[in-house]
Amino acid sequence: MATHNATLPTHAGRSPSAWLLVVIVLVALVGVGIYAYAHEVSEGMAVTGLRNIGPMGGATWGLYITFVVYFVGLSFAGISTAALIRLARIERLRPISRMAELLTVVSLVLAGLAIIADLGQPLRGIINLFRYARPQSPFFGTFTLVISGYLFASLVYLYLDGRRDAWLTEQTAERHRWFYRFWAAGYRDTQAERERHDRATLWLAIAIVPLLVTAHSTLGFVFGLQVGRPGWFSALQAPAFVILAGVSGLGMLAIIVAAVRRWLHREEELGAEIFKWLSSALMILLLTYLYLVVVELLTNLYTGSSRERDVMSELLFGDYAWIYWAAVGGFVVALVLLVVRVALPSLRSAVWPVVAAGALVNLGAIGKRYLIVVPSQTKGTLLPYDEGSYTPAWTEFALVIGLISLGVLAYMLFTRYFPIVELPEPEAAERKEAR
Amino acid sequence: MTRYGMVIDLDRCMGCRACMEACKVENATPESSFFMYVFRFEQGEYPASRVSFLPRPCMHCDNAPCVKVCPVGARYKRDDGIVATDWDRCIGCRYCEVACPYGVNSFNWKDPEEAQYLDWNDPVITTAGDGSIPPYRNPALDGAYGPEQRKIAGGGHAQGVMEKCTFCVHRVEDGLDPACAQTCPVRALMFGDLDDPDSAPARALRERESFTLLEEAGTEPRVHYVGGTPPAEDARQVDAPEVRV
Repeated sequence: MATHNATLPTHAGRSPSAWLLVVIVLVALVGVGIYAYAHEVSEGMAVTGLRNIGPMGGATWGLYITFVVYFVGLSFAGISTAALIRLARIERLRPISRMAELLTVVSLVLAGLAIIADLGQPLRGIINLFRYARPQSPFFGTFTLVISGYLFASLVYLYLDGRRDAWLTEQTAERHRWFYRFWAAGYRDTQAERERHDRATLWLAIAIVPLLVTAHSTLGFVFGLQVGRPGWFSALQAPAFVILAGVSGLGMLAIIVAAVRRWLHREEELGAEIFKWLSSALMILLLTYLYLVVVELLTNLYTGSSRERDVMSELLFGDYAWIYWAAVGGFVVALVLLVVRVALPSLRSAVWPVVAAGALVNLGAIGKRYLIVVPSQTKGTLLPYDEGSYTPAWTEFALVIGLISLGVLAYMLFTRYFPIVELPEPEAAERKEAR
Repeated sequence: MTRYGMVIDLDRCMGCRACMEACKVENATPESSFFMYVFRFEQGEYPASRVSFLPRPCMHCDNAPCVKVCPVGARYKRDDGIVATDWDRCIGCRYCEVACPYGVNSFNWKDPEEAQYLDWNDPVITTAGDGSIPPYRNPALDGAYGPEQRKIAGGGHAQGVMEKCTFCVHRVEDGLDPACAQTCPVRALMFGDLDDPDSAPARALRERESFTLLEEAGTEPRVHYVGGTPPAEDARQVDAPEVRV
């Protein structure tokens, strides 16, 4: 495989020749997304498949909110893995720390953009959400804690954690030195600086963990506190949200680690140990989540009000059954894959079962998020309105695909210009020379 | 203190939907909006089935879920009990709409002027109207109301904001009844101050058995019903209005 190693900064990712092609395709997809959004802004949200609940028999929250919830969920595993690595000093996982941090930052930005896409008055939203903020609204948690506080904390973490590598890269880079110098911002990797960074990241990690749980719970509360929507009002929403967030995030992290390992040839650093940890953590969270799914099922079917049962039976046997069973089936197959991988000695160090499980749980998570958001609106009206339906329009699909492409693009560009895996300790002699 | 509310007499309502019509004219709402909605629904099995009618304005709940969830305070409860939407502040997140158990909110999916029933830019209509196009639009709908002086009256204001029944706040502040109550040919809709023992709704509440919709949701509606019963769980709508974007 041809590489552009010569033109790259030291230790930054090497790129396969198809890199540019992929970037062009992604840029084109982002362009389509921007076009769809421009169309939506000029023509109004009538161009989406969204309609009023009740008289219009529609869903007023649809694909956009589904992906807001999904993206915020993805971000959970990223920074919590990084914080865990720091707090518990799990040295063998350090190589995936920056990938995890970047996953959080990128997916939170996507979540913010998806919220903007969903607003009828986006410009007003950006101003009024701060100007007239009401902490009583569960959205306050989403906007301030998640999108602002938590994104900011993650950015600071990513920045602090990257200063050493920025400084090291600056020593040897031929191009874009200003960028590395800017990031390093005077960092020289002295003993005192190291200790200071160590302390700062420790306290930041300690602060981030409770922020994480609160922030992700508030997103569950967005739905769980609504008594007027059968299928939403449940104390289980917040914990189930956090657990599924962990499942999808860890799954995505596994995919990213495998991709970096494969295309940037990091087979040594990203070894079996890391995949073992990822797959065990994923397995535990997946089991917990499936348990919550069963609990939810029993609660709503056993004696729940007839409205709750109606929505639940729509999920199990009605219009939404194919999504429900595909998602749950995906989770079960993913779990089986992970268990088989541990059970069979020939598969124990294989990467593909973890990647496949990661892909399955992510598709499943998107399905489950959709099922939380939509059916309670179309099938969960409490007055005798007609049954509703919702089919996303091309604008919504185009915008969501554009957002995902933007995320992948941001990730690819970052790995191109910055070491995504922490740089090894340079030899003492080499260091002296570099100085 | 004034405590506005409405009592709807289901024994009188004959499902004529004149209130829906009056509301649309008064508030200039776009095609996708029905601030007032009259259910015509059937319940029971044939031959024991029967058709009933149920007008559904906004319930102006005392414990309004939509007010609680609004992230910017555009949806708020006035001191006189009217649940108002500040269309000048609304960001269009539609959280109030998913929070409302009654389905009373309507979002402006596109430019309200385009979403009116007639295309006022159509040359045929322009010539037929003899130059009086665009049509009259009540300037009171754009005014500011209440001690807070906020823009809460009427509908059809801007693309991408939420609107709903205002109890015709622009009329009520002038001492008039809401358009629906004013129009009802059989006086099934009684609007007034629930704290004033002589008002029609207060009298009706005192003298007759009443219920509110979805009491179990704990929203404490300000709209009460007398005569008739709440729709049963098997109620299915007949003759639903066509609601388009």
